[in-house]
Amino acid sequence: MRGSEFSIPLLHNTIGIMTPFLLAAVGGLFTELAGMLNIALEGLMLFGAFFAIVFAGYTGSLLAGVLFGVLFALAAAALFGFISLYLKANVFIAGLATNLLASGLTIVLAFQLFGNKGVIRFDVARLPTLSIPALNRIPVLGDLLLGHSVFVYVSWAIVAVAAVVINRTPFGLRIRGTGLSSATIASLGLKPRVYQLAGILISGFTCGLAGAMLTLNLGAFIPNVTSGRGWIALVAIYLGNKTPWGIVIAAFVFGFAESLSNYAQGATNVPADFILAFPYLITVLAMIGYSIWRYYKARA
Amino acid sequence: MRRRKPLGELFAGATGLALTLGIAFAIAVLLIFTLSRRPMNTIYYFFVGPFTNKYYFGNMLNTSIPLVFTGLGIAVAFKSSVFNLGGEGQVYSGALVGTAICLALPAAGGYLGGAAALAGALATGAVLAGLSGFFRMKWGTDELISSFLISAAVIFIVNYFITGPLDDPGNNLLATRAIGEQYRLLGIFPPSKLDVSAVFSLLAAGLVFFLMYYTHWGYEMRMCGLNREFSRYGGINVSAYIVLPMILSGALHGLAGGVAILGTYHMAVKEFSGGMGWNGIAVALIAKNHPLGVVPAAVFFAYLDAGAKAAMLHSDVTFEIAAVVQSVIFYLVTAQALYSAVRRRAGAPA
Repeated sequence: MRGSEFSIPLLHNTIGIMTPFLLAAVGGLFTELAGMLNIALEGLMLFGAFFAIVFAGYTGSLLAGVLFGVLFALAAAALFGFISLYLKANVFIAGLATNLLASGLTIVLAFQLFGNKGVIRFDVARLPTLSIPALNRIPVLGDLLLGHSVFVYVSWAIVAVAAVVINRTPFGLRIRGTGLSSATIASLGLKPRVYQLAGILISGFTCGLAGAMLTLNLGAFIPNVTSGRGWIALVAIYLGNKTPWGIVIAAFVFGFAESLSNYAQGATNVPADFILAFPYLITVLAMIGYSIWRYYKARA
Repeated sequence: MRRRKPLGELFAGATGLALTLGIAFAIAVLLIFTLSRRPMNTIYYFFVGPFTNKYYFGNMLNTSIPLVFTGLGIAVAFKSSVFNLGGEGQVYSGALVGTAICLALPAAGGYLGGAAALAGALATGAVLAGLSGFFRMKWGTDELISSFLISAAVIFIVNYFITGPLDDPGNNLLATRAIGEQYRLLGIFPPSKLDVSAVFSLLAAGLVFFLMYYTHWGYEMRMCGLNREFSRYGGINVSAYIVLPMILSGALHGLAGGVAILGTYHMAVKEFSGGMGWNGIAVALIAKNHPLGVVPAAVFFAYLDAGAKAAMLHSDVTFEIAAVVQSVIFYLVTAQALYSAVRRRAGAPA
């Protein structure tokens, strides 16, 4: 009994914590498949996070918050796409620029609007959670899968849609084609840039949702609240072998690592800074392990 | 001819760069008019503030010193087509190790102790970046992402030491004890904080320039940067030139941290070096990865910081407007369409 008392909340929390990773990574997958390195996930998430909580605070409506968070993340993605695709800037540098802009602009606006560059609390309602009393009684599964915020279920729907779009629609095939050989796509009379831009905008959409989930969950904005989640999401794309279901597994692993470190923070006296470093260490170790596996697989 | 060519590269694309900076300044003005209630006052301090007295001017030059080192570190990596995104952590951990060495040494031997501290800072950065290079060489692990992740983890670990075992309970800062007087670098422009490490930074730029353009190693590094496959056929040991530029790049970043401690801060303060790594990337790009171009580019970036600081002190905007203006430069500095449009207008082939 002791074992399950510990492990069920841990897994339950993992499902909540993995969701921002999952959302950002699934959107970023479209950019990646279109052949572009999307360093900007972090910044796009931060735009979503800031504007979601600010608009939710002003309007008193969570839905309006999510809507504006996504809208501003999309606008930032459009800027990133325009500059890298149409002004032909280096994608990697334009991505860094997006992260820097997000970090600077959100602090400047927070200072302007609230006169404060620290934690800003908002009076917003709690995120609605799903509960189906009839199903809650199912022993383990009910505890694990129910009672999460709506974002969790939205993210599952998005993953399912992404899997279908990528594998079964002409649009998905063209995005993948652009990544494999943009010259081939161009020779078919299609515009590779349109598909690359679409990939960037999709990542803006899901990063906006991911960011909105972070701040609406906290009921507060903290400077650089995304704290590297966009980067970890980027690694999740690779570790997930660039497939939506692989990304689910990778996001679960990172979510589990963070959930475990949250637990350790309360239960042990390991210094908090080590615990904060832990997700990055796990991520880099997973990445190295993955490349070792690929290396020996390619040689075998 | 041979001697002029590397310098010639430096001036290529000057008009495109002017356009980028012009747009960035226009956005700065726009931003100030939107945010400030006294926009003319703010604009004055943002643009002219750093030149109004010796203190501001010297501090501006002083801010540029670590940026010269990080900019050089990035230029070496980019010239060799390897990517070091871990600058932030390399600078910060270099600073910590430099401080720790000064604090641990007995109170004698200023020069030797200072040199040991700088060597420690340099080695720390070199090891951290070198790890990413090693993983890339050995198993093909993407060094761009691994260097970032290692650096992000290291930042927390450095925070732990600064606020934990090395914290000085005697001051109210989250900082270590101050290093001994004998290790501090000589000030050269009082009352500002500008110190003798300005000379070190110029020497470093000259040294890196010489290494990249006039030595065998530098040549092979640049060849690998231009085309790794071609270099392999040419008989260059290409895998070594993944690790070597990373080590050099990390060493320069570590040195940036060490110099900032010995010259300016005299103690490791929590998160004091935030931004030095990222801004090094922009500095290198403005300089088109040319080691000598890094110096004016670093001064320019320090000018933006100093301007924003002056505007914050004398007016009503926050310091982070510098980050917004810097991000505009980041966006446009590699935008080829912008540059070729300028060239087309000038009548030269694109």
